[in-house]
Amino acid sequence: MRLKRDALAGMWKSAFLLILSFGTIARAQTPQELVQDAIQKQQAGDLEGAIAEYKQFLKLHPEATAAIHSNLGAALAGLGRFEEAVPEYKTALRQSPALAAARLNLALVYYKMGRVAEAATELAKVHSEDPSNEQATLLLGDCYLRMGREKDVIRVLEPEEPKHPEDAAIAYMLGTALIRDKQVEKGQLLVDRILRNGDSAEAHLMLGSAKMNVGDFAGARDEFAKAVALNPNLAEVHVLYAKALVLTGDSDQSSKEFKAELAVDPFNFDSNLQLGATSRQEQNYEQANRYFTRALKTRPGDPGVRYQLALIALDEGKPDDARQMLEPLIRESPQFTEAHVSLSLAYYRLKRPADGKREQEIVQKLTAEAQAKQPGAKAQ
Amino acid sequence: MKFTRREWIRLASTFGATQLFGGRGTSGQPQPLFVEVPPSASGIEWVHENAMSPSRYLPEALGPGCAFLDYDNDGWMDIFLVNSGPSDFWTPSKPVRNALYKNNRDGTFADITEKAGVTGAYFGMGTAVGDYDNDGWPDIFVTAYGKCILYKNNHDGTFKDVTEKARVATPGWSTSAVWFDYDNDGRLDLFVCSFVDYSGVRKLECGNNQIGRNYYCVPRVFKPTASSLYHNNGDGTFTEVSKGTAIAKALGKGLGVVATDINNDGRMDLFVANDTVQNFLFMNRGPGSNGRWIWEEVALQAGVGFSESGRPRSGMGVDAADLTGDGWQDLFVANVDHEMFSVYENNKDETFRDAAQAHGVARATRLLSGWGLKYFDYDNDGSADLLLADGHPDDMIDSYSMQVKYKEPLLLFHQGLDRKLHDISESAGPAFQECLAARGLAVGDYDNDGAIDVLIGTNGGAPVLLKNNAAKGNNWLGLKLEGVRCNRDAIGARILWKAGGKSRQRLKNNGGSYLSSHDLREVLGIGDAAQIDELEVHWPAPSKRIEKFTSVASNRYIHIVEGKGIV
Repeated sequence: MRLKRDALAGMWKSAFLLILSFGTIARAQTPQELVQDAIQKQQAGDLEGAIAEYKQFLKLHPEATAAIHSNLGAALAGLGRFEEAVPEYKTALRQSPALAAARLNLALVYYKMGRVAEAATELAKVHSEDPSNEQATLLLGDCYLRMGREKDVIRVLEPEEPKHPEDAAIAYMLGTALIRDKQVEKGQLLVDRILRNGDSAEAHLMLGSAKMNVGDFAGARDEFAKAVALNPNLAEVHVLYAKALVLTGDSDQSSKEFKAELAVDPFNFDSNLQLGATSRQEQNYEQANRYFTRALKTRPGDPGVRYQLALIALDEGKPDDARQMLEPLIRESPQFTEAHVSLSLAYYRLKRPADGKREQEIVQKLTAEAQAKQPGAKAQ
Repeated sequence: MKFTRREWIRLASTFGATQLFGGRGTSGQPQPLFVEVPPSASGIEWVHENAMSPSRYLPEALGPGCAFLDYDNDGWMDIFLVNSGPSDFWTPSKPVRNALYKNNRDGTFADITEKAGVTGAYFGMGTAVGDYDNDGWPDIFVTAYGKCILYKNNHDGTFKDVTEKARVATPGWSTSAVWFDYDNDGRLDLFVCSFVDYSGVRKLECGNNQIGRNYYCVPRVFKPTASSLYHNNGDGTFTEVSKGTAIAKALGKGLGVVATDINNDGRMDLFVANDTVQNFLFMNRGPGSNGRWIWEEVALQAGVGFSESGRPRSGMGVDAADLTGDGWQDLFVANVDHEMFSVYENNKDETFRDAAQAHGVARATRLLSGWGLKYFDYDNDGSADLLLADGHPDDMIDSYSMQVKYKEPLLLFHQGLDRKLHDISESAGPAFQECLAARGLAVGDYDNDGAIDVLIGTNGGAPVLLKNNAAKGNNWLGLKLEGVRCNRDAIGARILWKAGGKSRQRLKNNGGSYLSSHDLREVLGIGDAAQIDELEVHWPAPSKRIEKFTSVASNRYIHIVEGKGIV
């Protein structure tokens, strides 16, 4: 994926700059030689060796500076040991909150772990402190796009776009956000810019998004298919193709595409939600829980995922568990008709008919309101 | 029919060779489980006129229904087919009429519609056959967009339109209907499903679809309506009694209905499949203190109103039967593609669980839209099986869906010894490889061989008659039940039988499927048992009489009259 690869390369480079600056500081004493050796190993790619030496140093000097923790975090992250890297970066940031590179690295680790919301929080701080940090800005836009926060994507990337008129990644993300935000004409301008650069996956992705917005699902499906063929690693290309396939009735292929998206991005929210729902329908609750758990990491507290987990509880004959999940859900989203239906059913299962009836009446009221909004209601 | 040797070996090992081959222990060529009888062989040349227009008015897409009935009481099932007709959006350029075919008792049928006087007058949808006046002759109720018609049987091969006198015209858009005796007074009452409010002067057009043409609106855009319950006054008239009850309060878009007894309290309840709004389960609670009948709508709490995701589905066909053999009625609903159909198993406490996944029905129906359907024991092994007739409502769906098609195949499920339904459609014969725009479906034994046959109405096409070859290896007993104190059709009777050491029971439900009406006789499958050792008929109220019979010889139809035994 072009966007991710460019941005992430920048992030790792910043980590090594940090290491080098530390190396310049710590040189004279034996423990410092230990650190120097760790840095050399890290630069040479011997991350296990570097980690061992950093940890040895930390045993001897628990009061070590933020830079040591940050370097250790970078080495752990380099080996994919993200869970261990996070506390090291956090320690570094507690000691030196202004250590922008550590914050950027922490955001990167969160991003890699699929904890997009936490990544966005850290990136927003970096962006706020240093709006000129293009890597942070670009990644922040990407996070917001994944979180469905189109208006935030626009807020962050719109000022960047005139500075980088040829940057396809910015044009792609901003264009996508604009189209999803119903600002189709503005989004279309960015599409045209990408189109001028030839038959690119980004262009087909954006055209597909535009067609989805106007209900041309078959057209969207065909555009997304072309985008997948041109660049199967493009962010969200599989998930958009999968959604179009669902809407055009090809659920078998859509499941394959959702899974393909997860192969590229294991924490893609829509793919995890959709595949979790499918697994639940197939009564494969263990697998469904796995998908939903990952979806919640991307969007903590997402009502749709919480609802699916409540449905599993109902399916498994645990109405009180379901009730406990559904009650806060409808407090937060009182118009969530399906949740009222399920809560009503949970109350009836719990032999609380008065509560069940109350929820049922809410369902009827919401249904009637929805019915009145249908175009046919006016035509008659 | 073309089957590979491997397919036959697999089938024979799975279901038993005698069920697959035409005849007990025969060594001849295998026959399909069901064989389509072409019009050239049956004489049924009638074709449904769906009136499909460029505007795509929704009533065009929903018919037709069909029925097996013995209109002349000769002991042979005749066939009734419903057609469209004049309406406020269509004036036929040539005559359009229903069809009544008399069974010639030799596998052929003769069209006697004009003589019988059942040609229709409105944009017909479906039919419900029942002996509402207890005179021993079946009467025909035809639902329609426009007005319904009640044809009273004159006992001489003709019928009389008594709609106005009976007060059952039910203006609007009615779909399925069912005769049943809700108050156990010995007379059949009538429930009529109402679909949507389509009464606007300007019919709604949903605009252009993805190929730039008008398409059939999803019913979501129309207002829901209340269905009607008519009480039989016993003098040829009916009184609408739904007003003020849960039936009138429940605004739905009814397409399918079955009358059954959900809680085994001896009162027939109603399960209604609604399109795009929740289904209704009307529990019959009996008379209230003020004399008014009490109906309670409990679909949500029963777990049959919505999908498991809390969404209303597009319910179309329904049925009820004791699928699990525990003496309690289970339910079935066919929905539209991607909603999957529902197999609701009765928890015996007025709640249900959807076992469609466990039965493999969910997966098999994921891409299908179901209309006519029936639980019946097609192979007479004693367990209820299932046949589904499918077809997408949008005739242009092929143009913008990669998987969903307008014409869809029939599905046949066999209930195995594991009590699960097994999809055997691929091996059931060429009729199950064909794709249809199927709508109504009726079952009945038109050749009196004890193997229940199938009739399917197709939208804008010829009906499909399927002769059953699958039951030839098993024994059976056919019952014609005649109520005396209870309703003459004995709707609500419970039949218990023991054969070959196995005890089984069946409730005589009515309705089920979609727009269609079935052979009122009951065929009891007994597998390889030579006779029925014990037979009990529990007649419905008011008598609640129980009659017992022993050592009843098999492979024949018998006529049992309430209080008089086998006659």
